[in-house]
Amino acid sequence: MECTTSQSLRETHPALCDPKNLDASVEEVCSMMLGVSCKRIPDAPIADAHREQGMVTAVIGLGGVVSGTCVFRCSARAAMRLVACMAGTVFTEVDEMVEDGIGEICNMVAGSWRNRVPELAAHCGLSVPAVVSGNGYNLHLQALEFQLQCAYGFEDVRFTVAIACGGLPQLKPHTK
Amino acid sequence: MSEVRVLIVDDSSVMRKIVERSLRQAGLDSLLAYEASNGADALETLKSKPVDLILTDINMPSMDGLEFLRQLRSQDLAPGVPVVMITTEASLDRAKQALAAGAQYFIPKPFSIEQIRARVLPLLKTA
Repeated sequence: MECTTSQSLRETHPALCDPKNLDASVEEVCSMMLGVSCKRIPDAPIADAHREQGMVTAVIGLGGVVSGTCVFRCSARAAMRLVACMAGTVFTEVDEMVEDGIGEICNMVAGSWRNRVPELAAHCGLSVPAVVSGNGYNLHLQALEFQLQCAYGFEDVRFTVAIACGGLPQLKPHTK
Repeated sequence: MSEVRVLIVDDSSVMRKIVERSLRQAGLDSLLAYEASNGADALETLKSKPVDLILTDINMPSMDGLEFLRQLRSQDLAPGVPVVMITTEASLDRAKQALAAGAQYFIPKPFSIEQIRARVLPLLKTA
């Protein structure tokens, strides 16, 4: 797991920086929509071991009180497995339905995470997903003030979820 | 229960299939599902296909779910037909907007079969 935050941000926005919120969001989506028990894989390398088979990346934009992205990334093989669990259909290639499904998984993870962070729940909107698939591309995210990136998996399926946000100085500290 | 005609509005084809499957798993064995990928498509569908229930997402291109609901009511299409919003936009403000626009329920994604059974099926019995 990689988490890049300042000490002050962890003190003023603990829910934002807490990877447990991202874990809970991923576990909820996998449990309720895919029917699988998915866990964070501690200390897993973020680089995917199946890159040679092609990658699928879904990006959801976060806007409003913060600006940022939620990025879901996995191998083509993992994408087909994930969407197969969700749709109840076997896939042999990354077609539009697989891309659509990965976009929707990213959308639900982003929404679930956003709803667990009190500072964001009411004032942060989500974009429709953009999905990129194939070989030989790099995803560059502008250096932002906050980044949280974790690897998850079930059986032999692996994927990563990254949240990156800017605009945090405008974000009011959460008070209970 | 006789055949229930449902319009499922979501820009994700996978999610439309999941919603349909969830309705069947929740107990709607006799189901005729129509699909639309945004609010504008849904309005066109409703001009020719009467339905008993509408399930719609909010975040969609072309016409989002809230605008679809407003147009649905202003054009008096599907009068009395219950509308349930199923969306990741689960903030209280969004829920208030959806209910103000005429939605009966607001179900956040991800959702469970139990939520569909508890929230959606009773609407068909009272419609």
